[in-house]
Amino acid sequence: MSGFRIPGKGRVDPATPVSFRFDGRKVRGLRGDTVASALLANGIHLMGRSFKYHRPRGPVAAGSEEPNALIGTRRGPGRYEPNTRATVQEIWPGLEATSQNKYPSLKWDIGAVNDAAYMLFSAGFYYKTFMWPRSFWDRVYEPFIRAAAGLGVSPSREDPDSYASRYLHCDVLIVGAGPAGLAAARAAAVDGLRVVLVDENAEAGGTLLSEPQARIDGRSAWDWLSAELAALKANGVRIMTRTTAIGYYHQNMIGMVEKLTDHLPDLPADTPRERMWRVRAKQVVLAQGALEKPLVFHGNDRPGVMLAGAAQTYLNRYGVLVGRQPAIVTSHDSAWYAAFDLADAGARVQAIVDTRADVRAELLAEAEARGIKVKLSHTATATSGRLRVKSLRVNPVRDGKVGTPYTIHCDTVLMSGGWTPSLHLFSHTRGSLAWDDDLTTFLPKDTPEECVIAGASRGLWGIEAALTDGADKGRAVAAALGKAGTETAHVVEADRPGTGTSEKELPTDLDPSRAKAFVDYQNDVTAKDLRLAVREGMRSIEHVKRYTTNGMATDQGKMSNINGLNIAADALGKKQPQVGLTTFRPPYTPTSFGAFAGYHRGAHFEVTRKTQIDAWAEEHGAVFEPVGQWRRARYFPKPGEDMDSAVRRECVATRASVGMFDASTLGKIEVVGPDAVEFMNRMYTNPWTKLAPGRCRYGLLCGDDGFIRDDGVIGRLSQDRFHVTTTTGGAARVLNMMEDYRQTEWPDLQVWLTSTTEQWATVAVNGPNAAKLLAPLVEGVELTDDAFPHMSCAECTVAGMPARLFRISFTGEIGFEINVPTPMGRKLWEAVWQAGQPFGIVPYGTETMHVLRAEKGYIVVGQDTDGTVTPHDAGIGWAIGKTKPDFVGKRGMARPDLVAKGRKQLVGLLTEDRSRLEEGAQIVFDPAQKVPMKMVGHVTSSYLSDAVGRPIALALVEGGQDRMGETVHIPMPDRTIAATITSSVFLDPDNARLKI
Amino acid sequence: MNAPLHSFEPSVLIETAAARVSRAAPGARLSLQARGDLPPLNAALGLDLPTRIGRRARAGALEAICLGPEEWMLHAPEAQAVEILSACAEVYASRPRSLVDVSGRETTFVIDGPRAAELLTLGCARDIDGIAVGEGRRTAFDGVTVILWRDGETSFRMDCWHSFAPHVQHLLEIGCRELAAETI
Repeated sequence: MSGFRIPGKGRVDPATPVSFRFDGRKVRGLRGDTVASALLANGIHLMGRSFKYHRPRGPVAAGSEEPNALIGTRRGPGRYEPNTRATVQEIWPGLEATSQNKYPSLKWDIGAVNDAAYMLFSAGFYYKTFMWPRSFWDRVYEPFIRAAAGLGVSPSREDPDSYASRYLHCDVLIVGAGPAGLAAARAAAVDGLRVVLVDENAEAGGTLLSEPQARIDGRSAWDWLSAELAALKANGVRIMTRTTAIGYYHQNMIGMVEKLTDHLPDLPADTPRERMWRVRAKQVVLAQGALEKPLVFHGNDRPGVMLAGAAQTYLNRYGVLVGRQPAIVTSHDSAWYAAFDLADAGARVQAIVDTRADVRAELLAEAEARGIKVKLSHTATATSGRLRVKSLRVNPVRDGKVGTPYTIHCDTVLMSGGWTPSLHLFSHTRGSLAWDDDLTTFLPKDTPEECVIAGASRGLWGIEAALTDGADKGRAVAAALGKAGTETAHVVEADRPGTGTSEKELPTDLDPSRAKAFVDYQNDVTAKDLRLAVREGMRSIEHVKRYTTNGMATDQGKMSNINGLNIAADALGKKQPQVGLTTFRPPYTPTSFGAFAGYHRGAHFEVTRKTQIDAWAEEHGAVFEPVGQWRRARYFPKPGEDMDSAVRRECVATRASVGMFDASTLGKIEVVGPDAVEFMNRMYTNPWTKLAPGRCRYGLLCGDDGFIRDDGVIGRLSQDRFHVTTTTGGAARVLNMMEDYRQTEWPDLQVWLTSTTEQWATVAVNGPNAAKLLAPLVEGVELTDDAFPHMSCAECTVAGMPARLFRISFTGEIGFEINVPTPMGRKLWEAVWQAGQPFGIVPYGTETMHVLRAEKGYIVVGQDTDGTVTPHDAGIGWAIGKTKPDFVGKRGMARPDLVAKGRKQLVGLLTEDRSRLEEGAQIVFDPAQKVPMKMVGHVTSSYLSDAVGRPIALALVEGGQDRMGETVHIPMPDRTIAATITSSVFLDPDNARLKI
Repeated sequence: MNAPLHSFEPSVLIETAAARVSRAAPGARLSLQARGDLPPLNAALGLDLPTRIGRRARAGALEAICLGPEEWMLHAPEAQAVEILSACAEVYASRPRSLVDVSGRETTFVIDGPRAAELLTLGCARDIDGIAVGEGRRTAFDGVTVILWRDGETSFRMDCWHSFAPHVQHLLEIGCRELAAETI
């Protein structure tokens, strides 16, 4: 074990050593270590290279706010994650960790030339340096910047892990299990209230884990903590660790991500890697604590320079001394205590350098007792060292003048610029903030959510203050839920209350234009970048942020926001609240895509609806296509057939004898009630009053705007009952639209709607032999033109099954659609298939269906219409009931634009060279125009047609219905195709083929 | 994982220490919508229709759950459907309403076991604790509309349309295994 581990300190387990690899080198740590604490225990501070300048960096923090120590972690093939914070990743035997953003090695990195060329990379450098020549941007500059900058490398393999999600409802959610959160949980856990306490760390305790010296109610902090956690569990509090509240959404919905396996040596079966919790809490207590700020001075990013509070955490929680000769630079009392703890653990503290002139006598006495030199009214102006800090340059400051520098030799610099209350989640609630001049920070004010904020996250300092405030807030949320919370009072000895001042960049005697005084470590933003941004005209902090990228890295400015604001405000000569604070956005810490996707990946990515006949189609080699959520058989190729030849064969067989088609996905709505016919008259453009029971009609549905929304054949089963069909994709939309009108516009009508899409499996049988095939299967209906003419419907029995039989045609052939209850769908299909064998029946799919209908000029809503096509445009004005007093869309259709000449109208197109047009191709009248030509329409449908003997197309063309026989042109990349405008009905215009 | 429904027979689909999911036997399902004066309908059905959303009523093998201000779902043995339809047809003239046979539309999962309620939290945004035993709700599970019947503390039924059932079943199966693997 290395000499940086202090026996008897920390919460790591000295009996359980854990070995892992960092950049291929074996490193030993202890169970309970993070990658960062284990490396520090081995004297390793250098853990990565920075984003822009490739400067060597080590950890500056000990928690999730860490901006520098980002590593890649690997667990065998496929399991690689970039940009993991070394300060959060727990070690396990066999973990492979790698440093990032370096080439060829971490210690000697070629990208570090950027550091020497830093003048090129000042704020907004990419707007300036790489502007000219323009053509260089795409080919030279951008690829170079992308390759040079950036963090870790994206994983390239599919993630083999699984991810999960759950909903959780509770009365009280407490975010943060430090003293304030613990006290709030204790106070609120009364009378059956469901209380959840959540913390991002591997164990609960927060600050208490780093301050074991405190005594709470007569017990040591850690004894008190374990007793308190046991008591909370006994009181029914659900404690969730390794769980980060990432976002606070409307109406107390909190997103939380739980990491379940990243700390385990072996992956347990059936256990997801991460779980997204969607929590709906009646009351929320935010107790996220505060984050320490760095001080801003030249060289404040060298490995070995870290936050004093982090050093205290490494020592007390992990038993690791971050250095033997630390120097302290601070503007806050808290760093003094860190110095005392390190000194007591055997470090030779070189000096405590404080920017303040006056410090509490008690702190001075404690320093003196330990023989620590104290430098008040001092500034830090530089550090030295290449891969590790070697010395700190400090100067006295008298009356605003920076005096003569001198050097303090050290192996670490521990800094504290004070503490920033963590207001991230509070900000997500759109809570308002108030600037506090004394603390030089923003504090929470009001929030529209049922939410309170407790402890250090509202600027309170010290364990006793946090416990007291937490308990108060716990009782407050219990009271809001009508319960009396538990009264508690805590006495804390050896507490460490403190104060400090907040600084902009520290004063210096060196040339500030050459200073690399970092504000945002992750995006490599320095104080001079911020001042440059102000000089170049940025006034709002939002502009300064975007120009410099301060606070825009993955740590979201947890360390840099307030320092950045202080500097920008100083440069502008304004107070901080006048300059403003940028908005915090979720997630609080970087979150994996897997956590957001949850179960919705691979086979469970989204619902794929299948009919009862789908399995038959699969067995018979169908090629499928998605239609809305459904997957439908597109065609049934025989060996050696491509789509065109299979579709041609299916078309020919259907027109020659008979074909069968699974139409189960068509939307179906049962419209029932004494006012059903009135409702139909108002919804659809067609008249329904005179439609007799047992008869069908093509129905056309428009929106208020007069444009076509949907269509389908509708059967009147009885006086008060209609069987409505819709398009496959339109089923839910049409039902919602109908319900909307029914409930809000016409609540007086006695009519009700029921979706029967999935009640019925539907088999369409089409072709000259369709009636002959079906007649033996059908009981109760005689399939003749007299007894059951085209556009009839009946309830009957087909192949022994209860059925609704429709005689309708979407092919121009004799056609039937047989509906049976869904579970019988496959049985019906197979019965028709058997009965059709003597007729050479073919199953056909959606592609053949599209060709057959196009030959007859039947439109497909959504393909031949696009939401701007009226019934008249589509050539189906005949479907409008002209004498009806009103219907949805009647008024819209009378708008001047919709009756104007020159609207795009649906027509047929026949190409002169007999080539097939491309769907979506644009149409022009005059191909000799200069580019860009005036486009007058586009091809909506285009197919090879055996029945017509040449390719056919449908198109929307300006004034098309008055241009029959005219030639239009379709410019394509290789040539321009001429086509003649024709009727959209290419086959059997007299409908002779419909007769039995 | 959207396998076709191979079987409509009742069967256990998955069983772990956490929960068991099975498919219920097929039965009659009728969607009833009506407004106003209910007693004539109640008389025809032989059951007092509950009038608060989520409440249920039962008479013999006939069960009703109120889904909306004028909407109910009726469950009954298959053989009873014709009888219910004709009894209601007799009062149609005085009490117009919509009664539609949707027996073929849906299937029912039976979900029980010690952690059945938690299993539902994988896909149901609603507070399961807020559904009292003997009540039910129309809600969504993993984005799919379902009717959830709470028959006991740890016993539920979930109705959903056939084409959504494989998706729902898949998540229930994942959840049964995931919950069983947890150490609590």
